[in-house]
Amino acid sequence: MSALAWLGGLAWFAWDWFRANLRSRPPPGRTLEEAYRIGVQSLPVLLVISIFVGTNLALQGYKAFTPLGGQRLVGMFVAMAGVRELAPLIAAAMVAAKAGTEMASQIAVMRTREQIDALEVMAVNPYWFLVTPRLYGILLVMPALSLISVGVTVLASLLVSVFQLGLNAATFLEFARSSITMNDIFAGSVKAVIFAVIICFVSCYCGFVSEKGPEGVGRATNRAVVVSCITCVMFNTLVSQVLYG
Amino acid sequence: MDELEPPIRLVDVHKSFGSLTVLDGVSLDIPRGRTTAIIGPSGTGKSVMLKHIVGLIRPDRGEVRVFGTDMASAPESKVYEVRKRLGMLFQDGALFDSLSAGENIEFPLQRHHPELSASERRDRVEEALQMVELPGLYDRPTPALSGGQRKRVGLARAIITRPELVLFDEPNSGLDPITSDAIDALIGHLKETLGVTFLVITHDIVGTVNVADHIAMLYQGKLVAWGTRDEVTRSDHPIVRRFLGRNLILPDPGSAGSAVLPRIG
Repeated sequence: MSALAWLGGLAWFAWDWFRANLRSRPPPGRTLEEAYRIGVQSLPVLLVISIFVGTNLALQGYKAFTPLGGQRLVGMFVAMAGVRELAPLIAAAMVAAKAGTEMASQIAVMRTREQIDALEVMAVNPYWFLVTPRLYGILLVMPALSLISVGVTVLASLLVSVFQLGLNAATFLEFARSSITMNDIFAGSVKAVIFAVIICFVSCYCGFVSEKGPEGVGRATNRAVVVSCITCVMFNTLVSQVLYG
Repeated sequence: MDELEPPIRLVDVHKSFGSLTVLDGVSLDIPRGRTTAIIGPSGTGKSVMLKHIVGLIRPDRGEVRVFGTDMASAPESKVYEVRKRLGMLFQDGALFDSLSAGENIEFPLQRHHPELSASERRDRVEEALQMVELPGLYDRPTPALSGGQRKRVGLARAIITRPELVLFDEPNSGLDPITSDAIDALIGHLKETLGVTFLVITHDIVGTVNVADHIAMLYQGKLVAWGTRDEVTRSDHPIVRRFLGRNLILPDPGSAGSAVLPRIG
């Protein structure tokens, strides 16, 4: 299938979902269940990755600014790179890797085992039943996961800056605080919402159009994480260009 | 809908996938309140025909009318209304693995009968489990069910809403002969008990002869035989005789006898 045809299919998929939800409330109870599952699945790996990204940001910032005599700028560097760009992307990548792949593989298996056909025959719209709770669930947790990633990245950078690099904590925080505003936090949340929509639709669509059999399920899962990550990075650039370009 | 119109009417249905023609001008009326079997070799379009009937596939040409609604051209809401009046047993049951056996059966009730209380729904499920001879299996996790049990739970789900039409997609596929016989007997029993229209897609000839009132045979996308069970088993069509004759001793064309199972040993 060509990339253009695939994108066209994704657009139709989103349109079908929209039509299915025009006059329907989300399946009761399942949105919170999905939000909990996505959050619990993604949080541990998100914390680990955010810690190590934070430590490396501090180290690289220190190396870059020391020859210029600007060690104090490490806090600013961490805040700008971490808060504006990396933390939302880390959250997106981890959610795509954990929750997105699960969405794709679950739905692909349902496709293979005729369970999606069974939903249709039982007069239950599968877009409404399978996609809606996942979308609302991911929308609920993604901004929170992005904010947690921001906090952990900055905290890890601060600890490395203070205990390993010998920088002053108050100076680090002062420079960090002065370089970011509430608008940056808001922009990060907007990015998180956009990433949530991308991950959910791409992953669910990959599952819906999966070929039958274990190979089809594997390909759907793989495609879900690859396409989600690439699309999130592209949209991240687009939003950053609009806000900071 | 015209009360005289059969619950399922196919009119000159054509369907191709690329260069492969799967249905080639099939016209057929499925009679109300009877059991009709669609037989034919694998890959001859039986399951594709079934998917047309439930509106999962649209024909390239022709009409598929279910309860008077053309499933290809009707708006989605109308198609869903038609689907609420039918039940379907899928080849592998198509049960949801995250639900227990009983929850699977309860699923369509939860969606379409909000007027029922939880205890009423539970009673209906227990009753359906009794009908498929699986009493007390409500809490059994779906992955722990055997192949035959999956079919029975799928069958219970198909009939739980008391539909006017029940469709069976290869009810015997993947089952050993003893379980297969038990499923045939169950379908025969339900046919007597429920008195609704059954449509069975199968290549299991022995089971078909046991339960069907009418038989249609598809071969290379065309309907090559259609009639009552005796009419079809007495057909002189060479493909029909070759297909049925592998498993049955057929009467001479035009004779008054019926097909019988071959004696073993």
